[in-house]
Amino acid sequence: MREHRLKIGVSGIRGVVGEFLTPSLACSFAQAFGTFVGTGRVVLGRDTRSSGEMLQHAVACGLLATGCEVIAVGIQPTPTIQVYIGAVHTRGGISVTASHNPPEYNALKLFNSQGLFFNHYERRELLDLFYESAFRKATNAEIRRVIVDPETPRKIHLERVLRHVDVARIRARRFRVALDGVNGAGSELSCRFLEHSLGCQLRAIFVDPSKPFPREAEPRPDTLGELQQLVLKEQAEIGFGQDPDGDRLAVVDENGRVLDNDDVLALVVDAVLNSMPGNVVVNLTTSAAIDDIAQQYGCKVYRTPVGEANVVERMQAVKAVIGGEGSNGGVIFPAVQYCRDSYTAMAFLLDRMERSGQPISQLANRLPRYHRRFGKLAYEHGRLGPLMQALEAFFPDAQADRTDGLKLLLHDGWIHLRASNTEPLLRLAVESRSKERACQLYEQVTRLLG
Amino acid sequence: MTTQRQLRISHVGLRGVVGMGLEAGHVLDFAAAFGTFLPPGPVVVGRDPRASGVMIREGVVASLLATGHDVVDLGVVSTPVIQHTIQRTEAVGGISIGASHNSAEWNALKFFGAQGTYLSTAEAGELLDIYHLHKFDFVDHERLGKLRFDDSALDAYIDELAEVFDMQAIAQYKVLVDCCNGTSSLILQRLKERYGLQLVLINAQIEGVNFAHEPVTNRKMVSLQLAPLMQPLGADAGFLFDIDSDRVALASEDGSAVSEELVLPMLADYLLPRGEGKLIITNLSTTALIEEVASWHGGRVVRVPVGRQAAMDALATFKANQIALAGEGTGAVMMPRFRFIYDGIASMLAILSLRHERQEPLSAIVARYPKYSILKEELPLVPQRMPQLMMELQRQYADGLADVRDGLRISWPERWFHVRVSQTEPVVRVICEQRGEPPVELMEALLDQVRSFA
Repeated sequence: MREHRLKIGVSGIRGVVGEFLTPSLACSFAQAFGTFVGTGRVVLGRDTRSSGEMLQHAVACGLLATGCEVIAVGIQPTPTIQVYIGAVHTRGGISVTASHNPPEYNALKLFNSQGLFFNHYERRELLDLFYESAFRKATNAEIRRVIVDPETPRKIHLERVLRHVDVARIRARRFRVALDGVNGAGSELSCRFLEHSLGCQLRAIFVDPSKPFPREAEPRPDTLGELQQLVLKEQAEIGFGQDPDGDRLAVVDENGRVLDNDDVLALVVDAVLNSMPGNVVVNLTTSAAIDDIAQQYGCKVYRTPVGEANVVERMQAVKAVIGGEGSNGGVIFPAVQYCRDSYTAMAFLLDRMERSGQPISQLANRLPRYHRRFGKLAYEHGRLGPLMQALEAFFPDAQADRTDGLKLLLHDGWIHLRASNTEPLLRLAVESRSKERACQLYEQVTRLLG
Repeated sequence: MTTQRQLRISHVGLRGVVGMGLEAGHVLDFAAAFGTFLPPGPVVVGRDPRASGVMIREGVVASLLATGHDVVDLGVVSTPVIQHTIQRTEAVGGISIGASHNSAEWNALKFFGAQGTYLSTAEAGELLDIYHLHKFDFVDHERLGKLRFDDSALDAYIDELAEVFDMQAIAQYKVLVDCCNGTSSLILQRLKERYGLQLVLINAQIEGVNFAHEPVTNRKMVSLQLAPLMQPLGADAGFLFDIDSDRVALASEDGSAVSEELVLPMLADYLLPRGEGKLIITNLSTTALIEEVASWHGGRVVRVPVGRQAAMDALATFKANQIALAGEGTGAVMMPRFRFIYDGIASMLAILSLRHERQEPLSAIVARYPKYSILKEELPLVPQRMPQLMMELQRQYADGLADVRDGLRISWPERWFHVRVSQTEPVVRVICEQRGEPPVELMEALLDQVRSFA
């Protein structure tokens, strides 16, 4: 079978650098982007992948060729780039990052003038321009320069985050914090943030942006072994694990246990609603714990299909105060920016620990307790529909939601089956208050799906 | 202002009007082809001050990194500095981004091999084949190149100039220079700082869009720009550079413009007695004065087709110590001491050295050369009719000695003409020269003939 490791589609362009993702493709995509957003300033940054420098130059070439002025911010976390785009007057931005994908991959993340992911209308238009190669072509007199500014975005981002927590009290507490930066784009900024801004006693590993990723890029319980060891060895009160572009956050408690990503989101939602009650938006696969917490504060929860852009669109529509996607470790706090931001999450968790005086394990234990099981099935064209029908027939009393695959709400739990946005997979998630019931549901469904 | 679409892809490289023919995609593909063509190793990149150079640089860097080459970026520098840096370092090649004597809307890529010299015809052909095949050796993410900057290139280049020329002697003369907003300005400022040269620089501001005038190095531009200022300033010599400083034209102290054709004979006059090399490589369109000057010093002229490829190919067939210099009537001259790169700054310093050696004003030196009058014209091209035109001319002027290596050159004692198709623009060039007065009638007859085939 032909191996094809490139995907050009509504979510942008992503692929293995070398044979598939070439400088010409990146340049053409940037030309489409520059043509779409119009002449003006465009912010360009990247994560620490070895291919980042090469692709950054290809993208700069494409942007300049369409008459855009490039603000090159260099290696930056994706949320930092998004906050910066939103804060200054620009046409939009591009981040060269494949987020949590393996190191041989890279991709372009595209942002509009508010620093938000392109919505589906914008993505469609851009793709049409790309496919038609209908690019604006700047002449010598119309070509603008490249302005290099790595510092301003960091300053603005940290200022925005710190505005929402009690910095003086956190600093006074001198938290012992462990960090695994995966040698990613957040490596330097996270050290500065935790050590200098928040006065923590920091023990950091993998914070050299010139080195390759030391572990699998996605921060998960099975990839954070060294952070867990570090927390125990240094008797840290909390450990933070980032992904290469600093939007996702995983948390290790003081006992060296990696918290469930849904619980991390729940802790941050609790902290935010505590001080500023309002609407909450999460995706369909996020834990029902969020509903329980929102109920305590008399707040409403909206659910969307999986995907940051979907959550953000709904958050804007309902003026949500907090949102996110539990399963993949993303917290979205609009007062900083409509984007997944590990820095906001770190700040709120430390703030919560300081205010409550409780260790992070105890805060997590006091959350509404749910049990979850996740699974994946190979994707085949035409497979999802019949499976959805079979599931619905098997649970006739369930309330069905078909906005993203099928979600069945049972009186004692839920089941969600959907096609992945990024990989050729079907994803299955099951949740219940009881561990036995969660397992039972999972077994039933997997048997049914064959 | 050129507003027409223009793109030329040839053995000379890539050249066109940016946004009107020359696009980012061409740049990326050509640089990827070059990265594929070169053996492993670092590649030197520099650019002239055109605004589009920033865009082109980004594309060149991306493709070179993607083909596994480290890139050494010299920023805005002259082409000779790029070539010198390639020679001086471990680099396996280089790219100069700049359109030299073309107007600001144009840009181009020039490619150099490991010696810093232009590619031979065979090498340039291979590069073109790779470009057209679109089969590039993109490496995987672990073998991608890295970019670094080098700001020491200019001083290292000047160090070498200072080894060859007596800067103290040259510093006695007041010299007016029109930099045409190009890279010569950076070098000349540094020469002033380091050796106290008395250089009066005009149009010295580095500029990306509005050049003070067309960056051509010919007698007409010298008459307009330099000649009127020579006497008021009391300058001993005046020089005019193109944007990337490989070509030069000059004015003498009495305010008269010296023909660009005289640069090569003057340098031959200076260099032939100084070294063992006695060969002068030049093209079929260059003044016959060079033969006469060569004969004074026991030198011999080897004529080759127009274009740097032909010059490079010819140079490769001789030992370096056999050669005195190589160059063309455009004011672009290469000296063996500088390992055969066109270098206007070196040419300027050599002419000032000649001035110092002779201890007489430039006008007097120029007056000693027998008078030759050259006429140069160009007409629009109809490619299909060119063969017929050439056959007709050859038949009509059968009494002369015909050379058909590059269009048609027919020579008689003390008179010759050359009709050829330009490699860089869609025109027919007609050049004729006569010892003594201008061959006006011959030129008119030739132009009539060419027009009748338009």
